[in-house]
Amino acid sequence: MSPASHPLLTLGLLTRRDTEVKLPRSTRVKNKTAAPIQITAEQILREARQRQENHRPPKQKITDSDELADYRLRKRKEFEDVIRRARRNTGTWVKYASWEESQGDLARARSIWERLLDVDYRNPTLWLKYAEMEMRHRFINHARNVWDRAVALLPRVDQLWYKYIHMVEILGDVAAARQIFERWMDWKPDTQGWLSYIKFELRYDEVDRARAIYERLVVCHPRPSYFIKYAKFEAKRREIARARAVYERAIDLNLSEDDVEAEQLFVAFAGFEMWCKETERARCIYRYALDHVPKGRAKDLYHEYDAFEKQYGDTAAMEDAIIVRKRKLKSDDDEEEEEQVRRKPLNYDSLLEAAYIWKKQKLAADI
Amino acid sequence: MEKGRSVHPDCINASNPYHECVEYCFQRIAESKSRAEEDETNDSSKEPEERIVHPDCINASNPYHECSDHCFKRIADLKAQIERNESDKQTVVSVEEERANQVEQNDGNVDSESGQPHLTEKQKKLFELRLKMNEARKANQMAMVAEKKKMEAPTETRGISKQKWLDERKKKIGKLLDSNGLDISKAYMLDTQEAAQAKYKKWEKDPAPHGWDVFNQKTLYNAHKKRTQNIQCDMEAYNKAKEEDPEFYREASSLQYGKMTKTPEENIDRMVKELQDRDAKRKSFSRRRKFHEEKDIDSINDRNEHFNKKIERAFGKYTLEIKNNLERGTALPD
Repeated sequence: MSPASHPLLTLGLLTRRDTEVKLPRSTRVKNKTAAPIQITAEQILREARQRQENHRPPKQKITDSDELADYRLRKRKEFEDVIRRARRNTGTWVKYASWEESQGDLARARSIWERLLDVDYRNPTLWLKYAEMEMRHRFINHARNVWDRAVALLPRVDQLWYKYIHMVEILGDVAAARQIFERWMDWKPDTQGWLSYIKFELRYDEVDRARAIYERLVVCHPRPSYFIKYAKFEAKRREIARARAVYERAIDLNLSEDDVEAEQLFVAFAGFEMWCKETERARCIYRYALDHVPKGRAKDLYHEYDAFEKQYGDTAAMEDAIIVRKRKLKSDDDEEEEEQVRRKPLNYDSLLEAAYIWKKQKLAADI
Repeated sequence: MEKGRSVHPDCINASNPYHECVEYCFQRIAESKSRAEEDETNDSSKEPEERIVHPDCINASNPYHECSDHCFKRIADLKAQIERNESDKQTVVSVEEERANQVEQNDGNVDSESGQPHLTEKQKKLFELRLKMNEARKANQMAMVAEKKKMEAPTETRGISKQKWLDERKKKIGKLLDSNGLDISKAYMLDTQEAAQAKYKKWEKDPAPHGWDVFNQKTLYNAHKKRTQNIQCDMEAYNKAKEEDPEFYREASSLQYGKMTKTPEENIDRMVKELQDRDAKRKSFSRRRKFHEEKDIDSINDRNEHFNKKIERAFGKYTLEIKNNLERGTALPD
């Protein structure tokens, strides 16, 4: 006999039958049709969310300095724990530093920022936030130091330079701002940096210095678009001779045939000459351009040339232009069609175009 | 003519100078008197001007009618009916309702008979036939609407996917083009001049940067330009400083760099104020979205909800079809 069922051994002990819990027998489902009102998954979720409780500790008011010290200690411990766990997570560091700043303890905040920059100095946002913190609390020299370090470590991040110079300028120290700009230009930044320097000088009406900076810009970045900007700057100040010189320098660049900006340069130059009312020069420029610029890249050029001839040329010159174009664009179908239209003087489209150009001319003359 | 006329003062034809009361008159007077007594017991002994009567009640013209809860309910139902139904259905139903109410009222109130003519048997039958006709018409219309709904596709609960919308547009445009005798490739001919102008403008514009590209070189430069436009240049202080300082136009290597300059307090104030303005502007960079309560909940948590929003933003347009199919229960054979 097994020990469990031995009568002597089981005397006084609870039998298996007694220890069995008597559950009610599950009734078999008789009606297997769908209930008339069904519950949806969305309803279940909604109920679950509604019945959730907010697991937040109750709000406590801090009454005296001891409680405040306790609260600060607790918070600091929390923050330090979090940053120990995830050192690279800049978000928590920044939160910690902002909290210390909100508590008014700038020294601690500074130390946190320094520790963070130890971890990751390549993140420009961290430098920005650090410097902004110093600026907000009116610590100018601290801010200057921070900016100086930032700009020394990350010289290719333009935003840091912008903000540094902006701060110095708004504090009224224009000479220092100039020095920082010079320091930046030594790094030969992108055109936007140069242009912001030029704008800075023009704000204080230092036209000669602006001119010098433009010279340096076109030496540093010898692209036609920057020549055009330079020339437009001179033209705006009515320095026609200088502008012309700039354009001529640009043409001497000997750009390759594939350059996208070559066409723009010629168009701008010719436009400038037209603005100076030098039609012969403009015509020469157009001819030269059409000879040198490859057919594929010269669409704008042709448009401008045609408009120019309609405005200033006689029929002979116009025919010339058309012949030139016809030679160059034999394969282009719609251009040919356009040219056909032009041959018929009673074509209303060309008449309308001519009228429109005449009107533009009149308005320009009025201005 | 008035001498010796036998006229009961309570007779309703008493004002007629040629009327003489007969037995019928006396009967009628007796009936009205008994009704008046019943009315008193029913607490309607008020003056006609002091009754509670809703102007919209159909028995308002009855000088002895007082609006009860039943009347108000009937008025409300009538109003609801009128708003719900449209076109000829409305008039049919409302007339029918009124008739039904009138029939009801004839059964309910005791004093309504004084205004209503007695319906003869034929008239009653006609009325019942009319009722049946109207009901039949109502049932027919409802069946028609249900059939139409079955034939058309049901409206999607989660919105139409871009693909479907494009297909529908193509079909519409195709129909229009066919009616004008055009080819699908010439669809632009249908544009008005304003629409065409708007299209050209859009082509010429560069697409605005979004997502991770928002703070690229160009946008940062533009932001700096905007910021520097607002600097007030103090030309007098500038010129004064120019005269005083021998090294006004400094090179990069100038030794004046680390020297401390005395900045006036107001400049520092200006800087701080400018910083605060920037902060305020920064807050408006992204706005808080409206919370739609009627939208379905598919999250168990706030974090879950946030995650679902992000996922929806990324994959929503691709999974729209699948979600619609799940909602419907079956996939469409498209």
